[in-house]
Amino acid sequence: MGPAGAFVLLAWILLASVLVAGARLVLRWRRGRAARVDWWAGLVALPRRYLVDVHGVVARDPRAARMHALTAGGLLGSSGLLLLGVVPALRAGVVYWVLVATSFAVALAGSAMVARRRRPVRPAHLSAGGFLWLPVWVFLYAAGGLAGAGAIVLTASPGLGFAAVVLAAVGGAGLVSGLLTGPIRHALAGAVHLVAHPRPGRFAGRRESALLPLDLEAARLGVAVAEDFAWNRLVGFDACIQCGRCELACPAFAAGQRLNPKKLIQDLAAASLPPGARPAYEGSPHPGAPPPPLAAGPIVGAVLHPDTLWACTTCRACVAACPMFIEHVDAVVDLRRHASLEEGALPEKAAAVLEAIRHTDEPEGNPLAARGDFAAGLELPVLGAGESTDVLLWLGAGAFDLRYGRSLRALVTLLRRAGVAFAVLGAEERDCGDLARRLGDEVEFARLARANIAALNARRFARIVTADPHALHVLRNEYPDFGGCYTVVHHSALLESLLAEGRLTPERRLAGRIVYHDPCYLARYNGETGAPRRLLDRIAPERVEMARHGLSAMCCGGGGGAPVSDVEAVRRIPDLRMAQAREVGAQTLAVACPGCTAMLEGVPEPRPPVRDLAELVLEAVGEG
Amino acid sequence: MRAVVLLSAGRHPLSARPAPVPVEMQAIALARGLGADVAGLHAGAPDLAVREALGQGMDRVTVLRIGEADDAVAALAAALAADPPDLVLAGNRGRGGEDSGLLPYLLAEALGWPIAANAVALAAAAEGLAVIQARARGARWRLVVAPPAVVTVHPAAPPALPFAYARARRGRIEEQEGRSAPLVPRVAEERPYRPRPRVIGVAGGGSAAERLRAATEVAGGGRVLVDPPPEEAARELLAWLRALGFSRSADE
Repeated sequence: MGPAGAFVLLAWILLASVLVAGARLVLRWRRGRAARVDWWAGLVALPRRYLVDVHGVVARDPRAARMHALTAGGLLGSSGLLLLGVVPALRAGVVYWVLVATSFAVALAGSAMVARRRRPVRPAHLSAGGFLWLPVWVFLYAAGGLAGAGAIVLTASPGLGFAAVVLAAVGGAGLVSGLLTGPIRHALAGAVHLVAHPRPGRFAGRRESALLPLDLEAARLGVAVAEDFAWNRLVGFDACIQCGRCELACPAFAAGQRLNPKKLIQDLAAASLPPGARPAYEGSPHPGAPPPPLAAGPIVGAVLHPDTLWACTTCRACVAACPMFIEHVDAVVDLRRHASLEEGALPEKAAAVLEAIRHTDEPEGNPLAARGDFAAGLELPVLGAGESTDVLLWLGAGAFDLRYGRSLRALVTLLRRAGVAFAVLGAEERDCGDLARRLGDEVEFARLARANIAALNARRFARIVTADPHALHVLRNEYPDFGGCYTVVHHSALLESLLAEGRLTPERRLAGRIVYHDPCYLARYNGETGAPRRLLDRIAPERVEMARHGLSAMCCGGGGGAPVSDVEAVRRIPDLRMAQAREVGAQTLAVACPGCTAMLEGVPEPRPPVRDLAELVLEAVGEG
Repeated sequence: MRAVVLLSAGRHPLSARPAPVPVEMQAIALARGLGADVAGLHAGAPDLAVREALGQGMDRVTVLRIGEADDAVAALAAALAADPPDLVLAGNRGRGGEDSGLLPYLLAEALGWPIAANAVALAAAAEGLAVIQARARGARWRLVVAPPAVVTVHPAAPPALPFAYARARRGRIEEQEGRSAPLVPRVAEERPYRPRPRVIGVAGGGSAAERLRAATEVAGGGRVLVDPPPEEAARELLAWLRALGFSRSADE
């Protein structure tokens, strides 16, 4: 057998090792819970998901995209070609070996880019350890392959060819050895993950962001140990390549709370292995978290500090940044569901909030009939059962807040001014359940959802309008699972259309530089970034953007029950966000969410005033 | 040790919905802290508030079914006398509406057991059960009661165990027929509330703060003597009464 045959044999040996490693990974994943997967649709969609969806996210960093295209393309192309060389006629031709040499050259260029990524200084969001060896293995495999294919093309001495095969074999062995716990695991797991993704609705430009309902009849609620995750969730954790984009996007990490989404995914992947077999992690830690005991058992405690769980604001910045479409927030909520429903192990104030919801349908224990008190003198029409109106105004929990009451008063005044027929639910409006659900209390969420849906279905209206993006998200995307399907409009969209139709006319333009802060639940959860900007452009001549805006906006810190969980931090998230607004010279910070209003207005002065869109429109339209 | 926690059909003060009485949930936590085998006991109709108590550290609750007009004390006393535990814990007051806080006393009387009120901590002691009792203005007394006994719990006791839905779901409620005895109106004199007369120590003079304190606080002052000899205690009491003008010395 000449060097050509040896090369083809090497490729087949490598494929065999990949299959063995794949089988072992499959055995590991099968320990997870069963999941319904549409294999056929997933397989058909795989090329598109990989080449369009994944590449689209990777290409937000063009250099990373080039690096990945060269490395993955070169490795897959050259190895695939070598496998085809099992056909004797094929491997006898020179053209074939020229093609092989070319694809190895591409991989070689990729290996150089992979090496450059961590040189001269490794950026903090990238991991070390096995990742430092990755370019070495790719280099050896590609260099050996290139030299060998070149030797065959140039008909050099067989000795040279065999030496090249040995070089490539060393590189190939290095790569294959990482298939179970090393960096290259992401390739195998990633492919399965893209096929069997737990949320197929995330691909092809769609945006599926609703939490999935929990089966409350299940023997064990939520996730305590790795085996409680559905198997395709376990695949997702193994698909992580530790690129650190989630770490860069995470507000809790930036604030020094004990949460690093990248480490979280690595922890969850490691939790399915026995303590001794867990791969070393050499990236940024959960800031300030004590090292967990190296133990088996429940994930929270053995692998994660409880603070890690409660620091998450569910802003989905990590999910949006992840090129592998990993579902960090789903994992956090699954763990929270267990902590909340099975253990009752919640932060003290979060437990108090859930208790208030249980007994009064309201997170702060306010009487439901007092929700309209902010509008004293404005006389809110209350929609009784069987009555009908055009716009049902959903007030939300912000109505009980004195500060946010001002924003709602502005909104109500504007609706009157524009002649919109609207009404509120009055005491029949219970909390929408957003807070309960994010804190893991699916029982209370389901109860509130059913009660609200019953109240809503007893009335007739064309659409629901709300100023609270959290309520919007829950009513629009999460109530359909409970039988409530409504047209839900954010007040920014309604006000924008009223301005566009001329039903509201700005009397004057607002002075000063206005910066708009996107609420996570409006932008990332619902993709609505246009209407608020168009609205501001109609009333304010000078609008600037922060570096992080739109779908990559940074959270104010107010979501996911983070304010009531009150996890220790080094810095405050709203302070960080306000600093970003100051950086672009904001003279007014426009917000569109009661949570953002409260969080950002909590930043000590001097700072630009924080004003809801409704207040700004009212100022432009004129109070009179 | 076996402890029974009395559970009442609490109503939330704002929403009037069934809700466990917080101080009863604290009682469960106190009993758990003793390492006792804890069970709940409720007389009346099965109530959602009782179901929720199962999520806060209780595995099983017995519901004694009695009618609206039946006497809960009679049913509870009959059940407890039939299978007496070492300790009966109750909240110092229910939260169902017109709660007088009298039930634990009536129950202790019916059972012929001692009662210690307003416990904030419990501990096993050589002579029985040590009860730390909450007194006015943060004072604490340590009492020792011999089991079986009734102990009521004060809101200043340590917080209740957290609620967990799955535990409430797993908990068992056993219903049985309670002893039915019609509620006999207890003979008690009813009269309008009148504050008890107080001794104002400093009638005039003194600083404004002293006069305010004298006018608003329950008569205080004096010296605190811990385990004094009887003669010294008597002298101190006489001196105090004399200072207030209630007693004249023999030589006057």
